[in-house]
Amino acid sequence: MNTIDVNLVIWLNGLSGNVKIFDDLMRVIASDYLMPLVFSLAMFGLWFSGKTPAQRVRYQLQMLVGISALSISNVVVWIININWYRPRPFVDHGDQLNLLFYPPTDPSFPANPVAVGFAAAMAAWAVNRKFGWWMFAAASLFGLSRLYAGVFYPTDIIGGALVGIAVYGFTSYFRRFLEPLVTSFLRLMRGLSAA
Amino acid sequence: MNTDPNTVRDLFASHYFVFAFLASLGTLQIAVSNSGIRGLWLTPHREMTRWLGVALIVTGIVVFFLQPMWVEGPWAAGSVQADSVTREIGIASWGELAGARNVNDIHGGLDGNKQAMWFPLGAILAFVVSALIGAVNVKTLRSLESSDENDSPTAAQTDDGLAGLVNRSIFANLPASFRNFKSDIAGVWRSGIESADHWSLFKMIFGRSSS
Repeated sequence: MNTIDVNLVIWLNGLSGNVKIFDDLMRVIASDYLMPLVFSLAMFGLWFSGKTPAQRVRYQLQMLVGISALSISNVVVWIININWYRPRPFVDHGDQLNLLFYPPTDPSFPANPVAVGFAAAMAAWAVNRKFGWWMFAAASLFGLSRLYAGVFYPTDIIGGALVGIAVYGFTSYFRRFLEPLVTSFLRLMRGLSAA
Repeated sequence: MNTDPNTVRDLFASHYFVFAFLASLGTLQIAVSNSGIRGLWLTPHREMTRWLGVALIVTGIVVFFLQPMWVEGPWAAGSVQADSVTREIGIASWGELAGARNVNDIHGGLDGNKQAMWFPLGAILAFVVSALIGAVNVKTLRSLESSDENDSPTAAQTDDGLAGLVNRSIFANLPASFRNFKSDIAGVWRSGIESADHWSLFKMIFGRSSS
């Protein structure tokens, strides 16, 4: 399994260095700023998107769950990280990789950006299937770009996606323990003309 | 040249805030043009508002990623150098541009927590700007229309929140929405407690005492 993981990252990263514009595009997608902002904007946009008040309430409840899931994903990744340190691919196979990104110092497994992206995508998918699939595609592309850049193994990406999906499921279920606080918060936002 | 990570972080934070603000404003315009919330439109026309939204998002992204070409920062020597602390301060060339923003957070890039702080501020500012300009738009449209059904007391009492902003400005909608909130919230909480899951934390605490 580990050999397949290593071979895949070496093969995919080996495609870099041929077409500069493609490498540049992957560098921008892999950036810490573009895709996380896309996920945040998706949540923000969906908050205002329902055509009827009832639909908006449904969207907004899901966005609150999504934002919570996104935050909890970070905590789950951190807990995994303090229990298991998996070195980044460029640490063990630096001589075989063409690093396109700065060398992160945190552990490789699971991929935090992918966990966050999948948690947000799940929230979007729960209210709008079509838009949700686009979000999954964006989160996968983010993971792929980091893989291409040589900073994650494929299993880190899969692990990150699973963490994001699982945390969303947990948060969605956990919401019932916090009712009617969540609904009352939404009512307050409506009182402030923001929901 | 050694670069102080805090100086770099301040630079990143100001650039990111503008990026988040412009992109949020654009996203908000696309969303409210689709859902017909005219009190938040930046222009009086739906299509124009939508296209303005697209333009704002594109502008935000382009400005953020092109800024290293004219603003001095820690991107002069390219971004994949292992030790970004020793990077030279300067402007990036076209060839270095794609990776110019890739600076590790320990060397002054913005980590997730900082982004989680700056993004909501940008988004809130985008909402406030939309509400203020939207109020001017609604007033302009009102003066052009001879009659306005939404000034009736029934509409003022039933439509609040974003639904109220469909035809009202933030200044007319906010007092009505907050009044409705104050009169409703006790009932919302009570009925919420009654209908909440058996394991609801608040039902366990307040449900028994109220029963």
